[in-house]
Amino acid sequence: MLDTVREIETPEGISLRLRAAGAVPRAQAWMLDLLVRLGVFVLAMIPFSLLGVGGNGLAMLLLFALMWAYSVVCEVWLGGQTLGKRALGLRVVNADGTPVTWMPSVVRNLLRVVDALPGVYGVGLACTLIDPHARRLGDIVAGTMVVHAAELPAGTQVPKVAAIAPPVVLAADEQAALVEFAERSGQLTLQRQEELANLLMPLTGRRDSGAVAQLIAHANWLLGRA
Amino acid sequence: MKQERFVAMYGSEWDSLQFWLNALERQPKRTLRQEQALDFPQSYRRLCHQLALARGRGYSREVTDRLQRLVQQGHRVLYRPPAPRWHRVAVFLLAGFPRLVRSQWRCMAAAAGLFYLPALVTLLLLQLHPELAHTVFSSMQLAQFEKMYDPSNAHIGRSSGTDLQMFGFYVMNNVSIAFRTFASGLFFGVGAVYVLAANGVLIGGVAGHLTAIGYGGPFWRFVVGHSAFELSALVIAGGAGLQLGLTLLMPGRQRRGPALVAAGWVGAQLALGAFAMLLMAAFIEAYWSSIAALPDVLKFGSGALLWLLVLGWLWRGGRGRGDGA
Repeated sequence: MLDTVREIETPEGISLRLRAAGAVPRAQAWMLDLLVRLGVFVLAMIPFSLLGVGGNGLAMLLLFALMWAYSVVCEVWLGGQTLGKRALGLRVVNADGTPVTWMPSVVRNLLRVVDALPGVYGVGLACTLIDPHARRLGDIVAGTMVVHAAELPAGTQVPKVAAIAPPVVLAADEQAALVEFAERSGQLTLQRQEELANLLMPLTGRRDSGAVAQLIAHANWLLGRA
Repeated sequence: MKQERFVAMYGSEWDSLQFWLNALERQPKRTLRQEQALDFPQSYRRLCHQLALARGRGYSREVTDRLQRLVQQGHRVLYRPPAPRWHRVAVFLLAGFPRLVRSQWRCMAAAAGLFYLPALVTLLLLQLHPELAHTVFSSMQLAQFEKMYDPSNAHIGRSSGTDLQMFGFYVMNNVSIAFRTFASGLFFGVGAVYVLAANGVLIGGVAGHLTAIGYGGPFWRFVVGHSAFELSALVIAGGAGLQLGLTLLMPGRQRRGPALVAAGWVGAQLALGAFAMLLMAAFIEAYWSSIAALPDVLKFGSGALLWLLVLGWLWRGGRGRGDGA
C-alpha cells in the first residue's frame, strides 16, 4: 500500500496499524500548545505580579515548567496527547504502538531543541519529509512516532437481499473481491457499479442493474445469509 | 464457518468489550474497579484470536475493520505505561545516576577536559595579562560583574533581586543551558563541545578578571558553595551530549538507529540527573551563596564539603549492591 501506515506485530501475533501524522497537523498542534502555554503564563502573571519581586522568581519557574516539562507531563499523563495534539487527534506512541512512556517522552522533548533549529523547526520539517514514518530527529532517537489517534470508520454492511449461490466455486480472493464490491456499492455511483458488474458478465450472465443485483445476492450467499 | 454465523456467535462479546473500553476512557478509575477489568486480558487475547481467524478466513472488512479497531483500543489499555513510583526516583538519584555517569566515564572525562582546560587557561592568562579581559567581555559586562562582586555589597553575586527571584532565574537559565548542551550534542557532538568550551572561557574569564582586579574574595566566597553541583552538572550534561554525538559518528557493532535509541535513553537519564543537580545548585546559590556575612571558614569549609560529597557520590554511589533497588 502506498501510504503512511506502519504495521507493528504485537505479542498476540496480530498487527497494529499506525497511521503516521505529517508535518502540517503536528505544526497546528504545536501552535495550539503554544497558545495554551501563553495563556497559562499570562493568567498566572496576574497573581504573581501582586507578590512583587519574588513573583518574578515564580514566573521564571513557571516559564521553565511550561518550556520543558509541559509536553512530557501531558504526553505521559494524557495517553500520548498534549492538549494541542488532543485537539488535532494526534497521539505519540512508542515503537511498539503503546502509549509513550517517561523516558522516550523526555528524549523526544529535549531533542526538540535540535529539531527547532534553524528558524522554526527547519530540521524537524526536513526530517519529517524524508522519514517514511514522518518522524523528526527527536522521534527517531526516542524511538517514538506521532500517529493519527482517530480510527478510520469500519466497512459498511452489505445490503441485505435474498441470497443466490454463485454458479461456480470461487477462489478465496475472488470471494473477497465480490464481497468487497458489495460492501462498497453504497459509496459508488450507479454507473460505476454497473461498469464494474459488467466485467463479470461470464459469471452473472446479465448486464447493468441486473448484474449488480445478482452480484450483491452472491455476496449475501458468501456471507452466509439465508 | 460463514461470516454471518461468526458474527452471531461472538458479536455480543465484542459489543460488551467495546462498551467497557468506552467507559474506561470516560471514567478510568471506576471502570477499572469493575469485575470485567479482571477478565480484560483474557477477553483481549480472545479478541486477537478472533481477528486472526477473521483475517485467515477472508471475512469482509465489516468484521475485520471492526475487530481491528477494537484490538487497537484494547492494546493501548493492556500495554499502558505503569504508574510512576517515587521510590524509583530516589533509587535512580542515589544509585542509578552515579553508575550511569561512571559507565560513560570516557565522555565525562572528555567533557571535563573541554570545560576545565579553557577555564583554567583563561583564568591564568588573565592573571598575566589582565587587559585580555576586554577581548572576552564588553566593558558593560565587565562593569556589571564588578558591581555584582563589589566587596562592599551586602548580597554578593547579584546587583538586585530577592532570593526567590534569583532561584527562579538560576533554574530557568542554568537548566535550559544544560538541556541545550545535551541536545546540541546530536550534531556529531559539535554543539556540546562548543557550549562546554565557551562556558569554560566565560567562567574562567569572570573568575580571572575579578581575581586580577582584587575582587576575588567575594567572588570565590560566592561561587564555592554551589560550584560543586553546578559545574559537575554542566560537565555531565555536556558528556551526555558528547556520548550522543559520538554514537551517531561511531555506532559500534549496531545499526545507527538502535544505537541512537540506546544512546538517547542514556543521555536523557543523564540530563535528568543533571537537572536534579542544578536544582540543588540553584537552591544553594540563591539561599546560601548570597549571604555575605559569614566567616570564610564556614563558606570555604562548606564548599569543600559539598565538592567531596558530589565527587564521592558520583564515584561510590550505587556500588556494592547488585540490583540497586
